[in-house]
Amino acid sequence: MTGSSSKAGSSRAGLKDRAVERLARAVAGDRLDQLQQRLDDLEAEIQECRQLNIRLAEVTDLVEQLLLPMAARDEEKIAAAVEKYSRTI
Amino acid sequence: MAVHGAGTVTAVDDAGVHVNPHEDTVVDVIFDGRRIWSFWTLRDTDDGLAGWPRMLKRFLDGTARISVVEHLSGSVLYEADVALGSGQGRIDIVDAEGRPLGLDKSNRIVTTFDTRDARHTKPLLDSTEKVLGELRDAGVAAFPAYGTLLGAVREQDFIGHDSDVDLAYVSREKHPLDVVRESFRLQRHLKERGYAVDRYSAAAIKVDVVEADGTVRGLDVFGGYFLDGRLYLMGEIGTPFEEEWIFPLGTCTLAGRTLPAPAKPEQLLEATYGPGWKVPDPAFHFETPRTTYRRLNGWFRGNRVFRNEWDARYSGGVRDKVPGGAPSSLARFVLEQEEDIDLLVDLGAGRGGDALWFARQGVSTITLDYAHGASNGVRRVAEQEGLDLDTSWVNLHELRSVFAQGARIARREGNVVLIARHLVDSTDARGLESLVRLARMALVRGGRLYLELDLLRPGERYVPAGRRDIVRPKDLSSVERALSEGGAVIVHSTQTEDKRGSGQSERPVARLVAEWQQ
Repeated sequence: MTGSSSKAGSSRAGLKDRAVERLARAVAGDRLDQLQQRLDDLEAEIQECRQLNIRLAEVTDLVEQLLLPMAARDEEKIAAAVEKYSRTI
Repeated sequence: MAVHGAGTVTAVDDAGVHVNPHEDTVVDVIFDGRRIWSFWTLRDTDDGLAGWPRMLKRFLDGTARISVVEHLSGSVLYEADVALGSGQGRIDIVDAEGRPLGLDKSNRIVTTFDTRDARHTKPLLDSTEKVLGELRDAGVAAFPAYGTLLGAVREQDFIGHDSDVDLAYVSREKHPLDVVRESFRLQRHLKERGYAVDRYSAAAIKVDVVEADGTVRGLDVFGGYFLDGRLYLMGEIGTPFEEEWIFPLGTCTLAGRTLPAPAKPEQLLEATYGPGWKVPDPAFHFETPRTTYRRLNGWFRGNRVFRNEWDARYSGGVRDKVPGGAPSSLARFVLEQEEDIDLLVDLGAGRGGDALWFARQGVSTITLDYAHGASNGVRRVAEQEGLDLDTSWVNLHELRSVFAQGARIARREGNVVLIARHLVDSTDARGLESLVRLARMALVRGGRLYLELDLLRPGERYVPAGRRDIVRPKDLSSVERALSEGGAVIVHSTQTEDKRGSGQSERPVARLVAEWQQ
């Protein structure tokens, strides 16, 4: 349950984080920034990959719904399928 | 004044509730005997002040008997007659029809269940059963979830401070791509049966049910799936979970009705609300782990850019009004440039004033907009006048919507003209890419795209004036680049200065005309 979190506790955690960062920076210098940047880049790349799912799902859904009337080579059915598809999304 | 675990409440005034908390406890703020708002005494206070939530402020003018009560123990921490604002009259927190309102856990002002009786909850339960039945027919095993499941399991009833019904299903699919496809299929199934469906994400929808008295009620349906021993459920859950805790579905009781439930509902409630789920918390906040949030975002979200803001812009009867006044200068320019127009498509038409103007001149016209029903008023007039005007919906952040509308327009013969007035400056780079794609498809047999957009001044870095400031000037070269990368040739490009309201500087406005030359 979220209500039990304490502001004093989070403030202490913040102090600790800052102390750890100062120590790490003293030891690692610019390497820390470079690693942070690589981490940010990797996260962005992972998100890009995940987002492909929706695009591919959209194309698959559309193709599935429209290919069958097209295969039947029935102009009326194709027109109806295009119309229906845009009305049911 | 009394001292309790929650501490003391020292005053209630125009700023809010002043507390001197001992420990973090959830309290209810009660106006004339009715719970209106709840907050945690440490988490939700700043220097001992729980400020009135924004949505409540407009009601706080007058007097009321206000008490602050510990939610769990019922201990009264404060009780007094309080004058707020002018202090004149009685504070009445009700909607336009006089229905009592309160704040839910997200501080939205809603009609909470604690003020509704069986006359109101019966149609809701009927709608719930109806949608659950439709989803079952469509092949997914749906059940009440989130606050609705919590109420059913903990109290066999709706939770007093809750306001809506949430449903969920766990897909049998194993890949997010297939979960998305399934959600599209469900949407189609429901729409074919006459339901209005709005999409929250690629795995969650809202289903509108029209009740007997004409009230339209939206039920949220959240999709989920199992991946490597974890349950992911829109929009907050990503946790280790056994499939046997969901399937086969069991039952729960909600206000006297027997409804489906996960096999082990308490496991889902713990995954949703933590181990303390049995203890009521009317001010509960989700703390979704960053990894879960990122996963759900990456797999399923991203289709509602500025959607809430656009819906808000056309809410409150705006969409039902017919725009008056003259057509836009872009519309007049189009008519001067084009000899015969066989189809005029107004992209991002809003209320559709220009489209109506074209339709009244005998032009076959389509409006496309992102906000559902934005041009309801114009549609009604077009029906009355027998005009050839079609109002449709498009979402530049849903590829299938772009493809479908592009294909639909591409089938039309003759001179097709697209206009998009302040659409490019109302969307982002992805929206612009989709707009170019739609135009390329739509104009496959020829025709032109007319754009008008606000431009950045040289060297300007635009800072939006808030979330509602959604028409944001663009850099002309990036728009031109997007068009040319999409195969367009810009055949006309001019700039004018648009005079704004008093005190505002002028804003350059670009007018572009593009063709896709075969």
